[in-house]
Amino acid sequence: MSEVCIEVADCWKVFGGRDVDKAIAMAEAGAGRAEILERTGATVAVRNVSFTVNRGETFVVMGLSGSGKSTLVRCVSRLTDPTRGRILLDGEDLTAMDEATLRRVRRQKLSMVFQHFGLFPHRRVIDNVAYGLEVQGVPKAERRERAEEILAVVGLEGWGNHFPQQLSGGMQQRVGLARALAVDPEVLFFDEPFSALDPLIRREMQDELIGLQHRLQRTIVFITHDFAEAIKLGDRIAIMKDGSFDQIGTPAELIADPATDYVREFTKDVPKQKVVTAGTVATGPKSETANGRKVAATDTIEKILPALLDDPSPIDVVDDEGRVIGCVDREAVIQMLAT
Amino acid sequence: MTASTAPLEMLAGADRVRRYAPWVLLVVGVAVLQVSYHGEPFPRAWDTVISDPINAFQAWARSNRRTHPLFTSFFTPLSRSIDWALTSVEGFLQWLPWYVVPGATFLLIARTRRWWPAAVAALASVYPGIVGLWDETMQTLALMAIAVFICLVIGIPLGVAAAFSRRLESVMRPVLDAMQTVPAPIYFIPMILFLGIGRVPATIATVIYALPPIIRLTALGIRQVDRQAVEASTVFGSSRAQTLFKVQIPLAMPSIMTGINQTIMMALGIVVLATLLGAGGLGQEVMDALQQRSPGRGTAAGLAIVAVAMVLDRIGASFADTDRTHHVSWRATAIGAAAVVGALFLGSALGWSEFPPVSDVSILAPIDRAVIWARDNLSFITRPFNDFMVAEILVPARDLLTEVIAWPVLIFATAWVCWRMRGWKLAAVAAALLTVVGLIGMWELSIVTLTHVVAAVVLSVLIAVPVGIWAGRKPRVEAALAPILDALQTVPSFVYLIPVVMLFTLSAVPGIIASVLYAVVPGIRLTALGVRQVPAEALEASRAFGATDRQTLFGVRLPLAAPTIMAGVNQVIMMVLAMVIIAGLAGSQGLGFEAVRAVTRTNTGLGFEVAIAVVTMAIILDRLTQAAGERLQPPSA
Ligand SMILES: Nc1ncnc2c1ncn2[C@@H]1O[C@H](COP(=O)(O)OP(=O)(O)OP(=O)(O)O)[C@@H](O)[C@H]1O
Ligand SMILES: [Mg+2]
Repeated sequence: MSEVCIEVADCWKVFGGRDVDKAIAMAEAGAGRAEILERTGATVAVRNVSFTVNRGETFVVMGLSGSGKSTLVRCVSRLTDPTRGRILLDGEDLTAMDEATLRRVRRQKLSMVFQHFGLFPHRRVIDNVAYGLEVQGVPKAERRERAEEILAVVGLEGWGNHFPQQLSGGMQQRVGLARALAVDPEVLFFDEPFSALDPLIRREMQDELIGLQHRLQRTIVFITHDFAEAIKLGDRIAIMKDGSFDQIGTPAELIADPATDYVREFTKDVPKQKVVTAGTVATGPKSETANGRKVAATDTIEKILPALLDDPSPIDVVDDEGRVIGCVDREAVIQMLAT
Repeated sequence: MTASTAPLEMLAGADRVRRYAPWVLLVVGVAVLQVSYHGEPFPRAWDTVISDPINAFQAWARSNRRTHPLFTSFFTPLSRSIDWALTSVEGFLQWLPWYVVPGATFLLIARTRRWWPAAVAALASVYPGIVGLWDETMQTLALMAIAVFICLVIGIPLGVAAAFSRRLESVMRPVLDAMQTVPAPIYFIPMILFLGIGRVPATIATVIYALPPIIRLTALGIRQVDRQAVEASTVFGSSRAQTLFKVQIPLAMPSIMTGINQTIMMALGIVVLATLLGAGGLGQEVMDALQQRSPGRGTAAGLAIVAVAMVLDRIGASFADTDRTHHVSWRATAIGAAAVVGALFLGSALGWSEFPPVSDVSILAPIDRAVIWARDNLSFITRPFNDFMVAEILVPARDLLTEVIAWPVLIFATAWVCWRMRGWKLAAVAAALLTVVGLIGMWELSIVTLTHVVAAVVLSVLIAVPVGIWAGRKPRVEAALAPILDALQTVPSFVYLIPVVMLFTLSAVPGIIASVLYAVVPGIRLTALGVRQVPAEALEASRAFGATDRQTLFGVRLPLAAPTIMAGVNQVIMMVLAMVIIAGLAGSQGLGFEAVRAVTRTNTGLGFEVAIAVVTMAIILDRLTQAAGERLQPPSA
């Protein structure tokens, strides 16, 4: 069983206003953001969000502009203090920590990549990448060596002596990524890191991130407003709207079974057979009529479709230990594809 | 029918009452006050209420300077250390072989690959030596160096603190705003009280005067740093100090450098005035030349100040350019620095520190001749202009305001305008301040000064607005004007007095003209800016409806530019007020002359009275023009 790395419990963030309690009470009673703003002058940016992220997992928060994603990730990394709620990292409560402890935790465990890169324009690329090590007090020669290595990993060998503004947008974000990786963090926060890039570069960067994550297995919280990106990168996805989560689930779960109309809006254009797995459509216990055919629970529908078309009888679905967890038949697949 | 219209009529009646009541109040008030107070002078009830205690305190201070702990444990040690610093820096600058100055100037500017400005600045830095003012220039530089250094030591930390603490910032902002409303020489007056006359009070007054820009621009720079860069620093576990020194301050550097540059220019701007407090140096030279009416010396010293201003401004600009990518390589810079340092030791070993005597290239005599020629041959313009201004405008205006209109009417009318423009608070403050000004016996002097100020403002606006409109509409004109305006802005205010005083007879007119020359620049700048910033779509829309150029100008451009133009008028007024006291040096009667007398005779009580009058005028005019600007703003969503 995978262990929990980050746990966020009942997180609230309210900006402005004099009466925060009233704003929260109104939100709990179901009032919308505009109404609360009008009545109390407060903006409820994050409302009662809870989730956990497992070690090595990529957790994506997807929502439209203004839905509170950046605020949420800033609360989790404690760049701002949540108004209510607790943030646990490896069982330690970040919200209860003093400055010094927090700083130590950050140096050991965290790093972040920003939408507009957040690079230091007065430092050369190499010194940008080495910044995290510098504040930890790593000697200059050592941190430079490490930074050079990381630059090579993100494909920027030999660019260390340039200034960030001399690089293209895609290259600047590689610097941002390198800067985040250089400290060898346990947890990486990404706040829409690829949104400012053009589509081709974006795809390239996504693939690169997938490759890196495959090797490094870090815990990642990734913010995006692009559902396709969420599906591509996320092990699990949370759909955020007006400050709260509509649904949390794997890409397949969201697509096969959207919890709200809002979620359905995003999922309806996605080619389902490419995302939904046999495990999610599997029904019932083991099939009587299954003639010994088996597919893995993680296989996509697209992959098992030819077998179903060849032979109308149901197919057993097995988990990664080989146990049968149910079966798929033509009806179940057609129904899923039709909704 | 009647039943339904009656309430409507009543409503209209009530509306009419509300609309006309203030005007009725104005007319009745003016009439009553005019009739009952006509011909009565302002009762000088408090004639000595303010000046006596202050003069008494000054006398007390003078006799207790050696014994009282306030002096022995605070002012005297402070004074000693500043004096020591001044002496050391001055000694060092005079010990330096003279050619190190142009060498270092060239190096500092050329570092940013700006070869021509570097060469010109290096040449300009030798100019004071050529006209025999090397030592005076070094004295002035020493005072400025110390003053600016103190400004930075105080101002940068304060600016950083203000950027972090909203509370501190909300306390400091009104203080800084007020400091900018107070005309510079007013700062001298409390200095005399505590420290007497000398280089040290001059230095401290300069520090106080030049402090606001560095605080403001440091705070601005820190606050403007990209938020994500700060967050990136935090998320990697930087301490606050690490984020401040590794990220925020470096990124705020261009803004801080601009602040330093402005502080330097303001310090230079006041350095001549500081001679009233005994600062010596170039200012003394200008002052002597003004008093002896010696055009050659005045011009030479004035140009020396301009040269210093230009060199410092260029050096400051080179530091503000922090984009190192296009700079000269480190190695070349190091070689240049080594060369200058080498020359320094060689020169001081051989005793070459004196500026070579070049009195034979003196420009003084020809300038004297030229100015006298100009004065004699231009008198057919200058004299009638002078006489016209004095006899037809200034004197009648003064008589109107002091003899024809009764003083309570003026106070009442001013308060009424303040009330209509800004509300009753400003009206109450204005009425109270004006009454105090009258009671302490500054009424007539203030009226005289007011006529000069209004004349200078009207002339400046008459020049600035048309020129500004022209420049704003024609980019080529603006491009041509830009370097001239830049140059004019780096010239300290009193330098304008020199040529004007030489050409005119001693009266209020030279002061007015100098004020106009000084104040017209921001007027032109802001008018051009306002006109240029009008959105292109608005202009195109107007043209699409078939409007003529004239219609577009008066119907669209000017209304949209009006708030910015009004900001320009506000600046013009503030700069003219700042010149009031300087104009006193040129023989203007009124508050300026009185201020000069107060400082030169160390009559601090009188100085405070003048200060109250000038600050009153500044507050009322500043708030009123600001209110006018706000009214011209198109309503926002
Ligand atoms: N510092 C702040 N003060 C007041 N309100 C804020 C602040 N930061 C964010 N908000 C408000 O909180 C809400 C959520 O903002 P947030 O930046 O978290 O959205 P987002 O989902 O990241 O949007 P985007 O995709 O545009 O980045 C918005 O309504 C915003 O106006
Ligand atoms: Mg965001």
